[in-house]
Amino acid sequence: MSATEPHPWLAGALVPGRFGAAAGEPVRLGTRACELVQVLARRDGDAALQAAIRAAGGPDLPPPGHAAQGERMAALWTQPRGWLIQAGPDAGLARRLADACGPAAAVVEQTHGRCVFTLEGAHARAVLARLCRVDLHPRAFGPGRVAVTPLSEIAAVIHQTGAAPGFDIIVASSYARAVAGMLAAAAAPIGYQVGGDQMGGDQMGGDQMGGDRVD
Amino acid sequence: MIQIACPYCGPRDEAEFAYRGDATVHRPAEEAGFHDYVYARANPRGWHLEWWHHTGGCRAVLKVLRHTATHEVRAVGLPADRPEPPSA
Amino acid sequence: MSQPFRTAAGGHVDRAATLEFRFDGRALQGHPGDTLASALLANGVRLVGRSFKLHRPRGIFSAGVEEPNALAELRTGARREPNTRMTAIELHAGLEAASQNRFPSLRWDLMSLVGLLGPVLSAGFYYKTFMWPASFWERVYEPRIRAAAGLGRPATAPDPDHYEAMHVHCDVLVVGGGPAGLAAARAAGAAGARVMLCEQDFLFGGGLLLEPAQEAWRAETLAALATMPEVTLLPRTTVFGYYDANVLGAVERLADHLAEPPPHTPRQRYWTIRAGRVVLATGAHERLIAFPGNDRPGVMLAGAALAYLRRFGVRPGRRAVLFANNDAAYEAVFALQAAGLAVPGVVDARPDSAGIAAARARGIAVWAGAEVCGTAGGATLRGVRVRHRGGTGTDTLLACDLLCISGGINPAVHLASQSGTPLHWNERLAAHVPGAPVQAQLSVGAAAGVTGIAAAAADGARAGGGGIPLPDGPAQDATVAPIWEVRGRGKAFVDLQDDVTADDIRLAHREGFGHIEHAKRYTTHAMGTDQGKTGGLVGAAVLAAARGVPVESVGLPTFRPFATPVTWGAIAGHHVGRAYAPERRTPLHDWHLRHAAEFVEAGHWLRPAYYPGASDGDVWDSVLREARAVRRDVGICDVSTLGKIDVQGADAADFLDRVYANTLSTLPPGRARYGLMLREDGIAFDDGTVARLTPDRFLLSTTTANAAAVLAHLEFHLQTAWPELDVALASVTDQWAAMSVAGPRSRETLAPLIEGLDLSNDAFPFMAVADAVLNDGRGEICPVRLFRISFSGELAYEVATPAGHAEAVWKAILRAGAEFGIIPYGTEALGLLRIEKGHVAGAELNGQTTAADLGLARLCKKRGDYIGRALAQRPGLADPARPALVGLRPLHRSDRLRAGAHLVLPGGSDSLGWISSVTRGVALEGWIGLGFLRGGLGRAGTPLHAAFPLLGEAVEVEVVSPHFFDPENQRVRD
Repeated sequence: MSATEPHPWLAGALVPGRFGAAAGEPVRLGTRACELVQVLARRDGDAALQAAIRAAGGPDLPPPGHAAQGERMAALWTQPRGWLIQAGPDAGLARRLADACGPAAAVVEQTHGRCVFTLEGAHARAVLARLCRVDLHPRAFGPGRVAVTPLSEIAAVIHQTGAAPGFDIIVASSYARAVAGMLAAAAAPIGYQVGGDQMGGDQMGGDQMGGDRVD
Repeated sequence: MIQIACPYCGPRDEAEFAYRGDATVHRPAEEAGFHDYVYARANPRGWHLEWWHHTGGCRAVLKVLRHTATHEVRAVGLPADRPEPPSA
Repeated sequence: MSQPFRTAAGGHVDRAATLEFRFDGRALQGHPGDTLASALLANGVRLVGRSFKLHRPRGIFSAGVEEPNALAELRTGARREPNTRMTAIELHAGLEAASQNRFPSLRWDLMSLVGLLGPVLSAGFYYKTFMWPASFWERVYEPRIRAAAGLGRPATAPDPDHYEAMHVHCDVLVVGGGPAGLAAARAAGAAGARVMLCEQDFLFGGGLLLEPAQEAWRAETLAALATMPEVTLLPRTTVFGYYDANVLGAVERLADHLAEPPPHTPRQRYWTIRAGRVVLATGAHERLIAFPGNDRPGVMLAGAALAYLRRFGVRPGRRAVLFANNDAAYEAVFALQAAGLAVPGVVDARPDSAGIAAARARGIAVWAGAEVCGTAGGATLRGVRVRHRGGTGTDTLLACDLLCISGGINPAVHLASQSGTPLHWNERLAAHVPGAPVQAQLSVGAAAGVTGIAAAAADGARAGGGGIPLPDGPAQDATVAPIWEVRGRGKAFVDLQDDVTADDIRLAHREGFGHIEHAKRYTTHAMGTDQGKTGGLVGAAVLAAARGVPVESVGLPTFRPFATPVTWGAIAGHHVGRAYAPERRTPLHDWHLRHAAEFVEAGHWLRPAYYPGASDGDVWDSVLREARAVRRDVGICDVSTLGKIDVQGADAADFLDRVYANTLSTLPPGRARYGLMLREDGIAFDDGTVARLTPDRFLLSTTTANAAAVLAHLEFHLQTAWPELDVALASVTDQWAAMSVAGPRSRETLAPLIEGLDLSNDAFPFMAVADAVLNDGRGEICPVRLFRISFSGELAYEVATPAGHAEAVWKAILRAGAEFGIIPYGTEALGLLRIEKGHVAGAELNGQTTAADLGLARLCKKRGDYIGRALAQRPGLADPARPALVGLRPLHRSDRLRAGAHLVLPGGSDSLGWISSVTRGVALEGWIGLGFLRGGLGRAGTPLHAAFPLLGEAVEVEVVSPHFFDPENQRVRD
């Protein structure tokens, strides 16, 4: 099979550069290439599923609201007896998990159906506060925590990956462009950067919605 | 905006849920009960046991005890739970 | 001389800096720290508006958001904002404001002649007039009333600013930054709580701003709060609504006090605050007394006069009289006297009081046990008429240009009441105070009826957790002897903004609107932008007197959000224009864009409706061209938006039999079948294709519109009705792109591309499903799943591939089909083709039709339970006389059919049915339609009319089979 970029349209969704408010520390917006597979435990399959995941190099399946990191894959709790398994690109995850789990679980490939945005920086929580209703304050949330909650109206999985803080935001890939725009608009009052190190000069006035969109 | 404490996700705004009506009615085994199942409702002013589907979150269907006049949410559980209304 | 009424020193204004501004075109000056109202008063501007109905001259009445009179049209052009309260507008350089509701000018307003009609324009006059002749209503009365009515003018250009929303959680929300609120926030913050303190003013301090002696405490408290990292201070932020579960709404005005918002800064921010506890320190509003002429410019609340003097350094006049029923109001007139105003006298409704004694000690003349029964002057106050209460003596005229009035203090209970807290009557204050709260909340300070700065701060500190230093201050007594109204000649207003008089309230009662909620709506009392903050209770008291009952038994109208007005922009936030709803794109969207597709919205999705060609004249040219290409050769259509649900488990087949009307468990692996889902009430819900991949794995498709609803429906039943079933559900709508390759040449197009699958009719017949590989011969090798299904009625294959491969597969198929003339087709052509085929879609599955109506009764299981089976058998739904699906053609082929037309017998007026979908045909000439008709195909041969009364059309139609094209399904099975 051709090694394919699962979301070729994602590349254009975030324009590289420095945007938004100039003062203060910008947040960093990006995307993460990875494989994503949904596993849903079937009747009486919970123990077998856990064993299969471990054997495949995955972690102990985490409880509600949490993520867990294994050797070769991470697991994010997304629904009762259901997890989103995440691994690097081209890991062949769906095949390996289907083989390992057998009838213990429904294994559903979602690498093309979901995409992952990354948001990182001291003011990342303030960006998310404009879009989502759950409490992300350090007293209520932290690294390794997962919230399944809408970003504005779009279903999302929010996973805090680091203490900076850093977040992975997983959404349906058909909403990729809309979510990129939402994140950019929410980050503009704070200032944000896409891609690489700081580009020379601020691109003031530019935004993520150029080209075909007319607001 | 009522808040519903999803047993899996914690307290969440009602906007994350879809209301699905009276949880005291059950799909009948025989044909005879279907009219009441679909249409007849007590519609109390007071404590109401009802379904809320966490479609914006973990997709669990929850059983919620809510007071229809004050919006107080007294208990939230899973379909197999049987929360009791407080005695009058 | 600039600012003749400004004092030399004192107040929270910066006299070292001067701000230029304009009011009604007149250039004036003020200082940072002024409001528009204080700056106008400093310049001696007393006349600032014309009242709503009667166009009476009006002046500045208060010093806060409770202002009923001083409403300005702020800014010009696209940022013009009407009905802003001059008393709350922060003065800034270049501010432009105009008075409202007057023509041609404030001083010479033509509509003030309306005032002469005063007796006729009593409350509810419009219910009794403008009724005859009936034809005049639309042509004459309504346009004139529209032109005469209303207050300010909104902007007519798009708003250049943007607004945003924020969600926040905190342990303690303190509403109000006066002494009680500051103390509560500091105490809670010192305990380490996450605290938010919202203050609607641009300065924190509330009543502290009027007390120079308290400035040190205010500054020290603010400094302490600034050091607490978990305390957020939000000035210029109004908490406008209190909802369930301690959720509150607030609006932060980030840039209203600037000419323009700074780059990337929203103009306003809408906060949704979820608080563990709420401390309501919202203060109190002084109330008016209803006496004749109480609306004349120069009549002002006593507390407001004190605020203008102490906070803004402005003398509100030269000769001041006080009319009050409580001691607290005397501070104003004593301060005014100390600032150099003459005080010809005070009028106290009480026969004796501490205030009276203090006034006499200062050498001020006192009318005790007296009342003001009228005001003199034209557009500004020249004097007041005073007489003894209860007596019949003549009245005395006291010359003055400022009358400070105080009928008492109303705790600001709006938010407490919105949250469900009951209100209790407090005899001492003659006002409502909050009772026991039902949510986690406390009212403190003046909002709870506690008066005096020190007492308020102590109250707040206790609520916040205690243990912080408090200000000193004298005790204050706000006990009132209630006086609501003084009867006399002339209009005595209870609601200044809506021009409602005490007589209007009595009229409402006489006409049967004695309940406070009815009286409010009949008279519009307390319905203006000020929501009756200064006169609401006074109107209720007048109503109580008319009914002969105590004031407290009349109650108050229900308090609802918004406590003060909120701009629409803040509510809309980012959901404006294209961002109103998020856009959802298929994996082929960029290709469609590059090929000039015209898009149509299907929910959030954007789908190509058609692809205009260079030689296409109009939309129909494109649509017919696309549809002809499919019927004649081959076309390709992006159908990725249809919902796709993966269903797995040992009980998957059983589950599908329970949710579909037809049988799915007999479907062999490698085959697909049409599936019809009903609602439990027997009405058709959704349809789609069910494919069985393995014995325990199915893939079902839904319509685009119902994808989410079907998934929720399945999950709901699985979790509540059948939790014992071994079934797992997953949405894969976005994982797979799907494209329909349809037409007589579709097999020839695909076969060279597909590896691992024989596409001949025997090997891959109609309704077969298989996984394969597409090799485009240029290095792209893509996994595909083929479904031999057809919506168009042609030989067709639906090609699904993981979304990232979509464009490679699509382009490969276009290249392979080029020799056959393949073109892309959109939803319009798709619709044309399916109507010709007689396939039902959303217009037929409209929430009112049954399987039998749709001609699908034969599909429904005879044995076995399924959702909808029981109630579909109800006589009303099983009645064979119900309108059933038919095809329709105009008798004269050039006639046009319209969806929504009703089917009637010639000359008849009873509707026998309706047309649901129409199109021009390509396989047939002229327009065709699908519809529902009583008697169904049994009426074939009966002449009917399709009547569309809105356009005055009636078209002769014939009833035919809905399967206009290839009714034997030979082409799809080829």
